Amino acid sequence: MAIDNSAQLVDAPPRNRWQGILLALPVTLLMTVLLVVPLIIIGVNSFGQRGPDNTIIYNFNLNNYLRLLGISEPGVWDTLYLEILVRSLWLAFQSTVLVILVGYPLAYFIARAPRKQRNFWLFLVLVPLWTNFVIRVYAWIMILRNQGVLNSLLGWAAGLFGLNFTPLDLYPSDFAVLVCMVYEFLPFMILPMFTSLEKIEDSLYEAAADLGANTWNTFWRVTFPLSLPGIVAGTILVFIPVMGTFIVSDILGGRQVILVGNLIQRQFLDARDPVFGSAATIVLMVMTLAVTLYYTRKFGFAEEAFGR
Amino acid sequence: MNASGFRRGRRATAGVLLLSLAFAACAPVTTPAEPTLSAEESTKTTSSGFVCPEPSPRAEVTSKQINLFLWTEYIPADIVECFGLVYGVEVNQEYFSSNEELDAKLRAGASGYDIVHPSDYIINVMIRSGLLEKLDKTRLSNLGNIDPGYLALYGDQADYVSPYQLGTQAIVYNSAVVENPPASWADLWNPEFENRLVMIDDTRVIIGMALLTLGYDINTADPAQLAEAEERLRELASTNVKLWDSDSPKTALIAGDADLGVVWNGEAFLAQQELDTIEYVLPTEGAILFQDGFAVPTGAPHADAAYAWMNYLLQGDVAWLLLKDYPYTVPNRAALDYAQANQPEVYALYANSAITNASPEDLQNTHRVEDVGDALQLYDRVWTEIKGGN
Repeated sequence: MAIDNSAQLVDAPPRNRWQGILLALPVTLLMTVLLVVPLIIIGVNSFGQRGPDNTIIYNFNLNNYLRLLGISEPGVWDTLYLEILVRSLWLAFQSTVLVILVGYPLAYFIARAPRKQRNFWLFLVLVPLWTNFVIRVYAWIMILRNQGVLNSLLGWAAGLFGLNFTPLDLYPSDFAVLVCMVYEFLPFMILPMFTSLEKIEDSLYEAAADLGANTWNTFWRVTFPLSLPGIVAGTILVFIPVMGTFIVSDILGGRQVILVGNLIQRQFLDARDPVFGSAATIVLMVMTLAVTLYYTRKFGFAEEAFGR
Repeated sequence: MNASGFRRGRRATAGVLLLSLAFAACAPVTTPAEPTLSAEESTKTTSSGFVCPEPSPRAEVTSKQINLFLWTEYIPADIVECFGLVYGVEVNQEYFSSNEELDAKLRAGASGYDIVHPSDYIINVMIRSGLLEKLDKTRLSNLGNIDPGYLALYGDQADYVSPYQLGTQAIVYNSAVVENPPASWADLWNPEFENRLVMIDDTRVIIGMALLTLGYDINTADPAQLAEAEERLRELASTNVKLWDSDSPKTALIAGDADLGVVWNGEAFLAQQELDTIEYVLPTEGAILFQDGFAVPTGAPHADAAYAWMNYLLQGDVAWLLLKDYPYTVPNRAALDYAQANQPEVYALYANSAITNASPEDLQNTHRVEDVGDALQLYDRVWTEIKGGN
């Protein structure tokens, strides 16, 4: 059984203490240099103060965090940055839900397809990833713009029926950002969902049928619970990057849709306020971590859910 | 002399090609023979077929590469390619799309650049912070090609930058769809322009524009005045602005995504080439001037190549390409003369356009974005808050 095998793999003790340390060394070093050290720098900077000509004055203070919360001036509550945080959370939530809704049927279809065809469908899911992320984002401008592919098609269709057609105002907009987020992150949901769905043995469906379950009951009581680990893994893979992305909203939002990723990027570049940008980074990380922890506690990590 | 040089070069190139083919066929293991031709003799042609002018004078360059940090969509590709060919150096390019971004990246410790491309007030900020090397003008023999009238607009900055182009930031509109053409910055707030504007994403210019509609100086350091401008711009951003784009604002105008906006004069000119209903107006409150140039960042690893680059781009037979590809206002007199003599059509298009061909006198009546010292933090913060709230 697949379950037993994976459990053995996880629990198998390393043969030799030094072997384990050696194997972990490259990743540990990389993570320390590229992740831990920069994080410490960002953490320290977030308590600093912006000096003249972009210098940082290290006088431990909480002003950047107070500014984010909108309570830096006495008696005034400026919700600007909180709104940006909430907007980002909401967009990440919407994107994740939509990706699940769009991806699940496809993952199910691929998992239930004849074994020989599966690789082909998975290959098609992965093909878009061969193109650079930014180029794929720009492609959506061509599709959604005033005289773009979509509006041209709609105009042509309307013309066939002799209808008047005013091009839809789709780019730049919140809608364009959402559509592109769903498109960009779909493969990251489909793959783990497929892995979970594929593992479900045919015998379980047969057993469900023998016990008198109809299609609906089989899905809700057998398929769905067993595919949950895939959804959980996919959600983490989608939610976290959407929270931090700034390119999609920059390009398809016409720089009018400001997410926390854009806020941070702007602080380091256009606004040249790295201390405030650092504080926003820390808040983003804490927020993402909190949501992810809550979510995995509630639904369990892949193995736990699988064992239920 | 040019023509004979061309022919000789061609024959020699063909010879080298044949030779290397023969080498490749007989002895694939050996490394290909070095071309026996010295760099000066062969004619260099870019991938688009442009024949590269020889550098005059040729600077001594021992570096094998040059790292450029440039504005997006602003340097003719032929020039970049030619520079690599004529000096035999590897040209690496990176781009930025705002002065603030350039400044922030250099400050954050981005090193290795040999040429940076700042404009306006950021030049002063960078000089003040020791980010730029003072230019050794004895190595820039072609500086004399710059019209003294335009050079005067650079003032003290000319000690640190080699002039490239200048121009205005003003209002552009598509007369096919805009019924009441805007005449002033304040007109951009008209309700009829709801969700129709494309704006360059520029802190100082856009805040400056709002300050002008309020009758204030665009270089004010008064927090109260800036707060008023912020209020005005928050309103504009949430009603009339459709998108901000400093990379290629003309695209939205040409594609019909936006009907009017605030852009640089060169962008308006290029948009007009594509769509003849595009018009450009200098607003009644006064347009905002920009001027830019190349500078050498402190500690540039290939300073010899950097000087060669600056001097090459000051050459008339090189800089005329600006009139063709990125026509803002070209301050290089030799370039204009060269174009007039050799590229009459390109020259006529440029010279007859009020968008590009602005005289130094015209540009005197514009506003200049200047260094405001510590008040810059106020501007940056105002900008963040304008862009953050929708």
